[in-house]
Amino acid sequence: MSELFEPLLRPYDEKRRAELVAAYMAVEHAAGPVPEVRFPALREPALRRTVARMLELSGRTLIRTSPAHWISGYDDAVREALAGDPACVLPIADRAVLVLVLIHSVAIPRAEGLLTDDSWLSPYPAPLEELRRRSQLTISELEAALRRLRAAGLVGQVKAGADEASGGYVPGPQFHRLTEAARRRLQEELILAAGPDSPLAAAIRARRRGARKERV
Amino acid sequence: MTQVDPQVLARARARITGPVAFPAAEPVPAGLTRVAAGERVWALPAWPDGATPAVLEEYQTLPMPLDRPGQARRVLAAALRCCWTRLDDAPWPGRAAALTDVLELYATTTRGDAELMRRWAVGDLRRLADTGWLLLDEEAGTVRPGPRTALWAEESLAPLRALLRRMPPPPGGSDE
Repeated sequence: MSELFEPLLRPYDEKRRAELVAAYMAVEHAAGPVPEVRFPALREPALRRTVARMLELSGRTLIRTSPAHWISGYDDAVREALAGDPACVLPIADRAVLVLVLIHSVAIPRAEGLLTDDSWLSPYPAPLEELRRRSQLTISELEAALRRLRAAGLVGQVKAGADEASGGYVPGPQFHRLTEAARRRLQEELILAAGPDSPLAAAIRARRRGARKERV
Repeated sequence: MTQVDPQVLARARARITGPVAFPAAEPVPAGLTRVAAGERVWALPAWPDGATPAVLEEYQTLPMPLDRPGQARRVLAAALRCCWTRLDDAPWPGRAAALTDVLELYATTTRGDAELMRRWAVGDLRRLADTGWLLLDEEAGTVRPGPRTALWAEESLAPLRALLRRMPPPPGGSDE
């Protein structure tokens, strides 16, 4: 029995307790958002608050991805703190490859109006050839980076279809786990990278300067 | 910026870094499970009420996808067959087995080009080592059970023991 969760779980009877544990394990380990219809502890607001408090113990938070689906992700303050820790960030080559995947599978289709909502998941794969041409990495470095990104659930591989649909890489299941603030931040970073001189980029920089001043 | 509780941050950090060994003298962050062997210690997640991610199956919920999961399982089984030779004991800490023995055993239990099978198996051993299921020392050419095997509940070991008993014995090692 884990002492960590005991104070939160103690008030509940056996059945409720099992439901809370199942919901906690599901949102932490599932490949994608889990439907609340399958988990009573996600369906009932009071129990859901307890699941959220269990997650908070490890710096996690409950994220609603659609009206009846839930998953967990890092809390915004925790994410910010961990991003400053070199042991917690990806190697630079992996980040470069991930950005290329995001540009080709999300940013470009979104600019073309093919993707409309603010999700970071996409059915449009970034072709391996494109990654090879743009990444300035050797093939073995690129493949090693893709292997690590795949293992981390940050990219997914799409096999080329028989109907000549091209294969490649799309954002992986971890992109379900972004909070609204993290999604916005990613969007802004991509604008700053792709169009640093654009009016939109200037507005983002101005707002961030403002936010920093407020903190001080 | 909101200050984050250092213990909360330590647990969040452990989730990101995965099972990384540190010197046994260092304390493990509160709320994590301490697994030690000799000079080294690992901090592993502590799940409520002994639950494991296997609970997802009961709720028809898919876990995080894994590349070639069947092959990874068979490679893990081959490694355990070589490292966990006293099957009546717990798998952890087990003993070090020669990497070549593990690869040979794996090749004999699978169909296909043996050389290709070995190459793939090395990739799987590395991934299993990254995630704490095995300890791999490529320089020394050895494999050992990983710290995660220390968390296997006693009642879950029976089917695993039965499976390993059905496998061929380790090629070079002494099967006890």
